[in-house]
Amino acid sequence: MSRSLAARAALAGVLATAWAVAVWLLWTSTTVPALHLPHLDPHAYFSPRQLSAAASYSRLERVDWLLATVATLGALLVFARYGLRWARESAAGRMGTGMLLGMLGFALLWAVQVPFSILELWWERRHHLTSIGYASLVLGNWLALGGEFVFLCFALAIVMGLARAVGDWWWLPAAPAFIGLALLFAFLNPWLTSTHRLEQPALRASAARLERIEHVRHAPIEVESVHDVTSLPNAEATGIGPSRRVILWDTLVDGRFTDREVTVVIAHELGHLAHDHIWKDVGWYALFAFPGTFLIALATRRRGGMRRPEAVPLSLLVLVGLTVLGQPLQNIVTRHMEAEADWSALQATHDTAAATGLFVRFVPTTLSQPSPPTWDYVLLENHPTIMQRIAMVQAWRRYATSVAQSP
Amino acid sequence: MDEHPVRLVVEDDLRRSRVTVFFRLLLAIPHFIWVFLWTVVVVLAAIANWVATLALGRPPDSLHRFMCAYIRYVTHLGAYLWLAANPYPGFVGEEGEYPVDVTLPPPASQLRWKTLLRVLLALPSVFVALTLGGLGAVRVPYRGTGGRLGASLGGALAGITAFLGWFASLARGRMPKGLRDAGAYSIGYSAQVLAYLLLVTDRYPNADPTALLESVERPPLHPVHLVGEAHDLRRSRVLVFFRLPLAIPHVVWLVLWAVAAVLVSILVWLATLFTGRPPAALHAFLSRYVRYSLHVYAFLYLVANPFPGFAGVRGSYPLDVELPGPERQNRWVTGFRFILAVPALLVNSVLGWALGVTAVLTWFVALGTGSAPWGLRNLAAYALRYAAQLNAYVFMLTDAYPHASPLEGAGEPQLSFDDAA
Repeated sequence: MSRSLAARAALAGVLATAWAVAVWLLWTSTTVPALHLPHLDPHAYFSPRQLSAAASYSRLERVDWLLATVATLGALLVFARYGLRWARESAAGRMGTGMLLGMLGFALLWAVQVPFSILELWWERRHHLTSIGYASLVLGNWLALGGEFVFLCFALAIVMGLARAVGDWWWLPAAPAFIGLALLFAFLNPWLTSTHRLEQPALRASAARLERIEHVRHAPIEVESVHDVTSLPNAEATGIGPSRRVILWDTLVDGRFTDREVTVVIAHELGHLAHDHIWKDVGWYALFAFPGTFLIALATRRRGGMRRPEAVPLSLLVLVGLTVLGQPLQNIVTRHMEAEADWSALQATHDTAAATGLFVRFVPTTLSQPSPPTWDYVLLENHPTIMQRIAMVQAWRRYATSVAQSP
Repeated sequence: MDEHPVRLVVEDDLRRSRVTVFFRLLLAIPHFIWVFLWTVVVVLAAIANWVATLALGRPPDSLHRFMCAYIRYVTHLGAYLWLAANPYPGFVGEEGEYPVDVTLPPPASQLRWKTLLRVLLALPSVFVALTLGGLGAVRVPYRGTGGRLGASLGGALAGITAFLGWFASLARGRMPKGLRDAGAYSIGYSAQVLAYLLLVTDRYPNADPTALLESVERPPLHPVHLVGEAHDLRRSRVLVFFRLPLAIPHVVWLVLWAVAAVLVSILVWLATLFTGRPPAALHAFLSRYVRYSLHVYAFLYLVANPFPGFAGVRGSYPLDVELPGPERQNRWVTGFRFILAVPALLVNSVLGWALGVTAVLTWFVALGTGSAPWGLRNLAAYALRYAAQLNAYVFMLTDAYPHASPLEGAGEPQLSFDDAA
């Protein structure tokens, strides 16, 4: 083994160790007490009809996702092989041609996903979860491509510009650039959504009380109007610094959930803010951005590197492939943070009945399967399952009782 | 390509009587009544003609003559109304008696399926004709504040050229050639559409300005004119289908560039006002912007095929624009540039409607055939040329006023504001 090879191996080892340490530090910054969650029988909480409806609904959703993913990867494989022929339709020079190829790759993805999107929409409409029309979906997604293209062109301009300037090492400056963009987007995101003030005074008072309990600097609680397109309930904590806020979908405060249940949701979202989950999200993104961009750089070297438009179709395949492969890891991270937010909500509200009621009500309102198959859990679930969340409520109750009884 | 059987003949000398121009609308009132009555009869006769042509495979001679007279009459009236001609027209559509006339083909055999579907087939050309205004303006209904239904004027190239020509003719006793040519073009295209609709011919209307105005003398070469490969009509279907989203990054970039261009143009305006000549570096920057905007619009409106670059490099796109250097400019024209540009802005706005309609129609055709229709492509190129000339004028690249003639210029440049429009 030559000396330079050894030095490289040592450097790679040091970098890998540093990366692993960073992963460990970030992972352990999110804490949920080591609980032994009891195994719960879904039949004790849900009627056979509810379980059957959720299982039936989820089955087609899963098949649709699986087929769409396979078709997407297949289409990108073909595009990586033959996509270069579209370069003749460009008069835009090297970088512009790269952008055109990137956009056509995304356009291909849109085209491939149309039948699966329609199938999914049909399924959701059949279960009264959405009222979006088919034409709106297809045309809306077609027009939305324009926005995606703008970001794609921007990203390709960064990558191809850096590749031209520093060659195969483009990924080293590109990763921080993308991390910066992720940070910027995390900051701006709340202002990209149209919301209005939470009307209910009781919920506003609860939110103010929870902020004090969870030690969260004031974050506005706002409502996003989505009832004309979906009946699904949802909420999110978003923004960093001055843009932080909690956004509730109006389908959550339309009377189907009690005020106590909505309070648990608010406590959960404030838990995200209290534990800096948005910052940690960006941190996780940063940890994966370096190896991700490095792998793209490595894969595209045979096509002349990212400075050449020929590399763009292949880079899309690698990017989407890495995203699919990284999905289970990403799900582990988000489930970990969601569990911490659930725990935080229980600590703040002490309302186990409302928390259980909320999670139980999610099944008929979202048709989520309380305990999905393992492969679904690994690949698709970015929250703990409903049964895991109910089990955590029970575990917290035992924990709280033991703490109260301890001398 | 074969000559279209419906041909426009323009023998107008541009001179206008100020009195008849001033009272033009009032003088035309008898014609309005007469054309209304005639149109009612023509609608009934057209139905009979349609049935007869379906049965016989060709229109009966008597009905054909009647339709030809009507088309000629409408052409004469349109030319008078839109100031494309000066004399008061007759009421019976005499052939060869009016300075703006139309020659029509004799009755001939027509394909029955084309006859059967004539109204449907004619719809795209009717849309184009409406934006050009030879048949009247497009009224676009909309719901205004308070739920009131209103209508706005959209399109109507002939209408706007007549409006501007009215002032110019009153002032100078002459109709500006550019405006006259644009009005005549609109009238000629409308005559072709009518001839197609009324079964005078089964040849589809051709929007190509050069073919329609072949009897008209070309204007002088404008310093801002199109160059490049006009005959490449091939269009990639994939790029056509995704044209709008593909163009959005360019549109975003163009908007950002436009902000800088506006700021720079103010500096150039001041510099040109004081030194009589735009600074070379800023002139080059604005030239790039004008060229880039042409590339983007040519791509967006399907006038050209390939994806354009982001830098507006000269010669980098099949449809390009030739721009003058930083030459000396008239200080008066520079000082009042933004006011002087208003008429051209009006013309440009109606040409924008035509551009939009041609783009939509071309989108469907190109998606089906992989090729852009020659006539629509050239109409769109005319609109883009005018927009480029206007941009060059507004952004101080030249003091030559945009020329409204649909014809490409020929010969030496003529920069006078008086002779252009």
